[in-house]
Amino acid sequence: MTNSEGAPASADGAVSAKGLATGAVGTFSGAILGISSVAPGYTLTASIGLIVAAVGLKMPAIFIAGFIPMFLTAYAYRELNSESPDCGASFTWSTKAFGPYVGWMCGWGMVIATIIVLSNLAAIAVQFFYLFIAKLFDAPSIADLPGNKFVNVGTTLVFIALATWIASRGITTSERLQVALVGFQMVLLIAFAVVALVHVGNGSAPAGLSFDLSWFNPFTGLALGAFVIGLTGSIFAFWGWDTCLTLGEESKNPKKTPGRAGLLCVATILLTYLLVSVAAMMYAGVGEDGLGLGNPDNSENVFGALADPVLGNWGGMLLFLAVFVSSVASLQTTFLPAARTMLAMGAYGAFPKKLAEVSPRFLVPSYATVVAGVVTAVFYTVVTFLSERTLLDTIAALGIMICWYYGITAFACVWYFRGRLFTSVRNAVFRFAFPLLGGLMLFAVFVISIDESMDPENASGASIGGIGLVFFLGFGILLLGAVLMMIMRFSSPAFFRGETLNRDTSALRDEGDLTARSEPAPPSPR
Amino acid sequence: MRLVVGYLATPSGEDGLALGAQLARSLGAQLDICMVLPPDRTVPARVPAETGYDDILASRAQRWLDEAKSSVPSDIDVDVHLSFHESFAQGLIDEVSRLGAQAIVVGAAGDGLLGRHSVGSVSTELLHSAHVPLALAPRGARHSSAKKIREVTCALGTRTGADVLLRTAVRTCERMQTPLRLVSLVALDPQNDLRDHRDTPDDIRDRAVAHAQSTLEAAKSALPEDFPVSVTIADGSSVESAVRTLDWQDGDLVMVGSSRLAQPHRLFLGSTAAKMLRVLPVPMVVVPKQEFENSE
Repeated sequence: MTNSEGAPASADGAVSAKGLATGAVGTFSGAILGISSVAPGYTLTASIGLIVAAVGLKMPAIFIAGFIPMFLTAYAYRELNSESPDCGASFTWSTKAFGPYVGWMCGWGMVIATIIVLSNLAAIAVQFFYLFIAKLFDAPSIADLPGNKFVNVGTTLVFIALATWIASRGITTSERLQVALVGFQMVLLIAFAVVALVHVGNGSAPAGLSFDLSWFNPFTGLALGAFVIGLTGSIFAFWGWDTCLTLGEESKNPKKTPGRAGLLCVATILLTYLLVSVAAMMYAGVGEDGLGLGNPDNSENVFGALADPVLGNWGGMLLFLAVFVSSVASLQTTFLPAARTMLAMGAYGAFPKKLAEVSPRFLVPSYATVVAGVVTAVFYTVVTFLSERTLLDTIAALGIMICWYYGITAFACVWYFRGRLFTSVRNAVFRFAFPLLGGLMLFAVFVISIDESMDPENASGASIGGIGLVFFLGFGILLLGAVLMMIMRFSSPAFFRGETLNRDTSALRDEGDLTARSEPAPPSPR
Repeated sequence: MRLVVGYLATPSGEDGLALGAQLARSLGAQLDICMVLPPDRTVPARVPAETGYDDILASRAQRWLDEAKSSVPSDIDVDVHLSFHESFAQGLIDEVSRLGAQAIVVGAAGDGLLGRHSVGSVSTELLHSAHVPLALAPRGARHSSAKKIREVTCALGTRTGADVLLRTAVRTCERMQTPLRLVSLVALDPQNDLRDHRDTPDDIRDRAVAHAQSTLEAAKSALPEDFPVSVTIADGSSVESAVRTLDWQDGDLVMVGSSRLAQPHRLFLGSTAAKMLRVLPVPMVVVPKQEFENSE
């Protein structure tokens, strides 16, 4: 049995699963991939409201503050990935480093984070869908439809169902489409920022704040609680840029391209965020009236409020379209890792085995995709009816979830390489210093937000029994995970005994290995 | 001689495999069961897609292939291959070139179209781009009890490639030692290009008979003495009804050629074959209009 290149398969009959896409991605394409993963149009829409609500004019400072730990911990991913590129992501690495229990919780955090962002993406897609339609047909009342919870939930469920269906047929977006979407988003975001600044310059801006360097200083004028909650929003904003760091074999120069693509990507994103946030603040101010960014009516949807005044009729419509397609594309692509992570966890016995099913016809995780869709739909519905401003609460919870699993991954990197940390300056920096610092920062944010999230005023004001909803969405779900983990522990302990995945497991050869670890894999009958 | 079977662990895949086994036994050929997986490609999502997934998929595919291999009766030589390509059809075609195979066999069933031969997306792609004969198994071929091909029916008209089709049919019958039934498709049909609006029904009938006769003679002269060859003129108001009037049994095979619209060395489904696909209860082999070095 041979693979497509005619090279002999390895001795125990497994096939290298690296397909034909080697050596194709350059620095620029890699950066596009990274920016596409972050989906800046969607991200800014989702996070500006939360950040301004927490820290007001200090938004630029918060972006920089959030950038730093996300930048540092991403290198943990790169190091772990280059060590064993065939073998997994956060779940497998943290299991190998810290054992099955921590690994399980890390995987859980990752899956939940993906579910939350899926529901969020669908929600924003729905909002901007109606905004766009309202603009297109010049019927402003349509734009208010998402305000009605039933219309909102109904439409969102339709979007989620469609996305689930498409994902389960194995349909993905092409590279050209990705480039086009990124280009479209970036052009409109920059245009928005520039035009807003022009308005400020010629005095036609509602607030017309003057630029102030203190906006970039996080150390003054910020309460700790506000700082931390704002940070969760900022951490969310940078989530995903590290996709380009893990390109590996697909890149033209596996040693250099991912690093360069990553730097280009993250620098672009950071600058875009700073530009847009400064422009928005100078244009609209952070007050609570009218167009002010602090106005609760606007905070869920900053672009919704500002697109028209800044860019005018047509420009505003294009901006809505840009955010809409950005969200829809991201919604579609995010199903993939959600389903695949569940499948991998199922295959190793950490999650129920049924999740490891692959559709024989479409060659995608059939059961896991449907589960992802259903859980997303349920999550969104529940949160919408519990909260007035769903998006704010979910973004904050998402930030907490990211701190959790990125933090664990960063520490996993340091621990996994612990024998080889100081063999070179390069290793000391990328395997020790960066991940450790980044991990500690994220960990600090995580711990402080346990307390801060209990205060409903820090997010949207929604609460259950006096405790902020964010606390339940973030820590509550993690605790729920711990309970589920113990149930799994008792119903199928193989994974937890280290039988299926431990430090020595390299690429998963044969599912037969999982159940019969003591026998070697049977030789392939040729 | 080798046959590539494009396989997925679905009922349609099993249809293709069953037909492949029948053909392999009849032709004395080896079967190569091929599955094509989409290649690993980084997707722009916030969470990196779990890279261990690809190994899991590949090992699952390997298990499917091994199960398929063990389901083939032991009198046939079988080998399995796993390859990667964005397009299943193109991956199959690449395997054909790599292995030096003479034909591709796939199950033709698709999504809920009417008739025994619904054409799925892979079959359609193959129909448009394969350079070797393509055997399509109808839905349910896996339930056939015929061990070998019983009779080959070759349906031909006067379009380009008819000579290649006839030659291929003759060679195949000789190798398989099965009778050959020729069917002239010069049907009483408005789409037929032999018709002239001044023709009377008798003129058309005469032309059809003449065509049938000449085809029969050409076939007989290429085959050994006493080799069972017969000719029928398909009658009916359309191609589908013409085909329906014929007798079909389990183990029969139909061969048709591609239309003159095809690029050289590529198959394109002409209107005749497309219509026949809708009503045939037996496997169909579509033959490219030009000979390729390895054709059977």
